[in-house]
Amino acid sequence: MTLINLPRGGSERHWARALLVVLASLTLAATFSAPAGAVPSYARQTGSECAACHVGSFGPQLTPYGIAFKVGGYTDTDGQGTKVPLSAMAVANWTHTAKNLPEAPEHFSDNNNAALQEASLFLAGRLTEHVGSFVQATYSGVDRKTFLDQLDVRYARTLAIGEQQGVVGLSINNNPTLTDPFNTLAQWRFPYTASDFGFGTGPAPLVESLGGSVIGVNAYTLWASNFYAEVGAYRALSSGSVNWMNTGQVATQTVDPGKFSGVGTYWRLAYYKDMKRDNFNVGVFGFNAGVQSAEDPSSTDRYQDIGIDASYQFLGTREHIFTANASYVWERQKLDYSHDVLGAADNAKDRLNTFRLATSYTYEQTWGATLGLFNSRGTADSGLYGSVSYNDRPNTAGYILQADWTPWGKEGSWGAPWANARVGLQYTGYTRYNGGSHYIDDVNGSDRKASDNNTTMLFIWLAI
Amino acid sequence: MNRNRFAIITALIAGGLILAAGRQALAGGDARRGADVFAEECGDCHSKIPGRSKKGPTLTSVVGRKAGSVADFSGYSEAMKDSGIVWTVEKIDAYIAAPRKVVPGGKMKYDGLADAAARADVIAYVMTLQ
Repeated sequence: MTLINLPRGGSERHWARALLVVLASLTLAATFSAPAGAVPSYARQTGSECAACHVGSFGPQLTPYGIAFKVGGYTDTDGQGTKVPLSAMAVANWTHTAKNLPEAPEHFSDNNNAALQEASLFLAGRLTEHVGSFVQATYSGVDRKTFLDQLDVRYARTLAIGEQQGVVGLSINNNPTLTDPFNTLAQWRFPYTASDFGFGTGPAPLVESLGGSVIGVNAYTLWASNFYAEVGAYRALSSGSVNWMNTGQVATQTVDPGKFSGVGTYWRLAYYKDMKRDNFNVGVFGFNAGVQSAEDPSSTDRYQDIGIDASYQFLGTREHIFTANASYVWERQKLDYSHDVLGAADNAKDRLNTFRLATSYTYEQTWGATLGLFNSRGTADSGLYGSVSYNDRPNTAGYILQADWTPWGKEGSWGAPWANARVGLQYTGYTRYNGGSHYIDDVNGSDRKASDNNTTMLFIWLAI
Repeated sequence: MNRNRFAIITALIAGGLILAAGRQALAGGDARRGADVFAEECGDCHSKIPGRSKKGPTLTSVVGRKAGSVADFSGYSEAMKDSGIVWTVEKIDAYIAAPRKVVPGGKMKYDGLADAAARADVIAYVMTLQ
């Protein structure tokens, strides 16, 4: 069950509260849902325009050029002197939901909220010949907190064995999917920004729920330009560390932050082919971890995540760009702690399957349209979901439509590479929420339709 | 003075011959198609704006230029600077067909363009970047 994507308002917040009790062992720490990926310091470093690395002239959807830059450890440069690896980013939005939120978030209303959702500072770029960074500190204007958002510090170099050569690297990071070079896994997939006043995209597997609450070391390679492989080991941060970085909404004295039994293991294999005109990737990935209560490590909830993913980009001359990104993740949960000890889960074993798809079209690297689909299905478990679901299932499904305009970021653009902006309109529609077309609003003790959560967001995203 | 004038005239004639030879060699190349090839294959690293370098050096007036010699571009590999190449149309064609074969140890991260017609087109386009 995800915590990283939990919204700040609405009935899901109460669902989250219930789950924080039920899944105390899983509450390693929650992070804020934050986009990450508009980093003009990389453009200044490479001498390339944003459009070289990103579809639509704005992060985070990577082109093959951007993939090579990331795999290369963020160190590539145009050789024109040392550049300061600093960038800043801000996202402001206005959000309307079809029916008022079950309760107004602190400092805001129960509908039609405008907010500076986040303002971020990046340490992003080449530090030495072989070491580069992507580190993001963020102020959330909704939660009124500043926290360490993303951390990825890499060492990378080319390696030749006989006739073959590739890039090999190491990463220290705080999120299992942050390191991935494709836009199919949790951290980097559509939607690239979402409102904190919205209702999310449903429950997510553990591998997608750990941002900011773990620290890991990964080894990776992109070999012969085609084969991507990565393995990583993660430890949960202590509650003291989480509090120090202020990443945990739940890292308080009243909530058990949880910890891993041993290490969480992440693995990833993908075949990637860049034909210049177009490119694709097909891959598999997985994450395994045992999660214990920090205060009562007598037993463990075990999570096994296995996923498949695929992506395709038609880039052509960059006048008309089409992309498609998809993933499917199977999660097996063995809830020895939550079921046997806590008695909160009805079942000793549960499953959660999630499907995500996004297709986009971009014209002249400026005008973009994206359709996203999300679908999460899980085992019926009245202990876990009964308070918010009529059928005891967490099933949530819907679609996201987005239209956006990115005026700059191309070669010769005004203010390049400093001025970068995206303005967009995003609509999220729900066909199922917490099990069906209706669910239980446990804040008000009333029925609520899934479509009541339909969310319209107007946003402006700036980066410098 | 006369010696300088002779040198200038000689350089102009040589330049003209190189340009003419290049254009003749590119008789089959279509610069308009080449613009699309450039956008698909080269544009991430090389600018189409005359005189501007990006990750790769400017390609303006590349024919007749000594490899690794763009003064304000410092991203060359030692292999490129030491290659002794003076770019002709034929040499450019061979290079973009198989970069690592022509300049072993070069930095250009490009596997090569196998289509000879596309190479002729893109070279014809690059020749227009004046």
